[in-house]
Amino acid sequence: MYIYLPIAEQPINAFIVLGIGWLVGIIMGMVGIGGGFLLTPLMIFFGIPSPVAVASVANQLVAPSVSGVLSHWKSGNVDFKMGTILLVGGVIGSSIGVLIFNILNAIGQLDLVIKLSYVIFLAIIGSLMFIESFKLIVQTKRGKPNRGKLHQHNWLHGLPFKTRFRKSKLYISIILPLIIGVIVGILAALMGIGGGFIIVPAMIYLLGMPTSLVIGTSLFQIIFVAANTTILQASQNQTVDIVLALILLIGSVIGVQIGSKFSNLMKGEHLRLFLSFIILLVGFKLILDLVTIPLDIFSISVIQ
Amino acid sequence: MRTLIKNILLIIIIALNSFTVFAQDNLVTDLSESTVEISSTFSGADILLFGAYDGQKNDDIIVVVSGQKGNIKVDKKEKKFGIWMITESIKFSNVPKYYYIASNRKIEEITNKSEIKKRKLDFNNFELKNNKIDYKNLDKKWYEALKRNMKKKQFWKTEENSIKLNKNTLFRKTLSLPSNVSTGMYNVKILHYRKGNLISQEESKIKIDKTGISANIYNVAQNFSAIYGIIAVIVALFFGWFTNFIFRRI
Repeated sequence: MYIYLPIAEQPINAFIVLGIGWLVGIIMGMVGIGGGFLLTPLMIFFGIPSPVAVASVANQLVAPSVSGVLSHWKSGNVDFKMGTILLVGGVIGSSIGVLIFNILNAIGQLDLVIKLSYVIFLAIIGSLMFIESFKLIVQTKRGKPNRGKLHQHNWLHGLPFKTRFRKSKLYISIILPLIIGVIVGILAALMGIGGGFIIVPAMIYLLGMPTSLVIGTSLFQIIFVAANTTILQASQNQTVDIVLALILLIGSVIGVQIGSKFSNLMKGEHLRLFLSFIILLVGFKLILDLVTIPLDIFSISVIQ
Repeated sequence: MRTLIKNILLIIIIALNSFTVFAQDNLVTDLSESTVEISSTFSGADILLFGAYDGQKNDDIIVVVSGQKGNIKVDKKEKKFGIWMITESIKFSNVPKYYYIASNRKIEEITNKSEIKKRKLDFNNFELKNNKIDYKNLDKKWYEALKRNMKKKQFWKTEENSIKLNKNTLFRKTLSLPSNVSTGMYNVKILHYRKGNLISQEESKIKIDKTGISANIYNVAQNFSAIYGIIAVIVALFFGWFTNFIFRRI
């Protein structure tokens, strides 16, 4: 069934998009990370203009984040104080991100920067995930115990504006979570991602937060970052396609629930190994499109 | 089947009517639809153009459909640092966003060059306007690139030999509009040629408009964009909460 997308101004096969959202949702639910970094490039491969893809995926991101936070909240796994500081940074960051987005759009290099950021990003995330999960699999086979990283004190803990985070049992400066929030916010606006795989390791290794609180807290802040990005993109660039976002989010929220129910069927490291292949494949396809000679070196677009 | 019967009936009616009209005008045409609505399930449209003319042997019919004019940017990519990136752009103004030419035989055989130029029966005679750019001295490759890409996207199209003439009195042609056609008023011009001279012409309009939910969404996004963004967020918030609510019960 074809549905006409009012903002992308083209018809799209609704079942295929629903299916993509669903599959990415299952991966999200099983691995426990956001799927924006897969959805946006897949939508670009589908012929959706990259600015519309980025903004609409940011919009759909709100839904799985909300349903994720609600589950984590019930189990008491959200540090709202930390989340609030992260989201203040996130809102600032996503505002900066939309500003950069506008400048790039004006000079006509937005599409290239979005694709390049994805190539770099997917390459880093994909190879890190591959190495980490591969090591774990080898280690478990040899029967070696995992080295748990201990919370270390470093110069980051010497920064001013120290605050007590009761839930996380931390006494640290608010500057660090604020900066992490800003970086994630910029990425959300530019690439349509929640930044879970940046914020989660940052919270564990840089802030020293307890692992149990990390996912719930990061999802909490992603809701606000994604919401801010959606509103700014909609009001400044008119690039949010609500129909596309809706089809994607219906698919992904159902997928997330199914995925999280089956997450114990497969070992975490095997799943991440599998996911790292998908990520590297998507990144490879993107870079291939950038380096191969285009069919026509001239292209056209309708402008105002 | 229903549309076929409808079309045949319409042709018969037009044919009968036209015998009485011949005295004043020797070309009568009509369209099966004068408005095309882009709804949420739009995937292109076929409009039947049909007509009757007071013809002789070897008369010709040319149909030209032109859409709204607008600005089209042509980007040129070059390989820099190993990747293909846009290095140069030219903006063409006053370009027809849709232009379709159909005829019963090759247009070059129907009429001469000056007539082709005057009536814009090819893609080389549009009046492009832009105060900043001198199109006459612009490298030809830019316009060729525009033409090539407009044709590739089916926005500009020629179909010579596609109009079937019937006993020098009737003709019909299906106009196929692509799914990504832009909105606005479309002008349909039907030209009747005899030995290379235009002897009569007719004009009709097709209105292409977005309707239904799709049009409302577009309008809200354009005119009340901040509210649109807030609605988009609320919808996503609701669905996030709703699925959590449902799946908690399963």
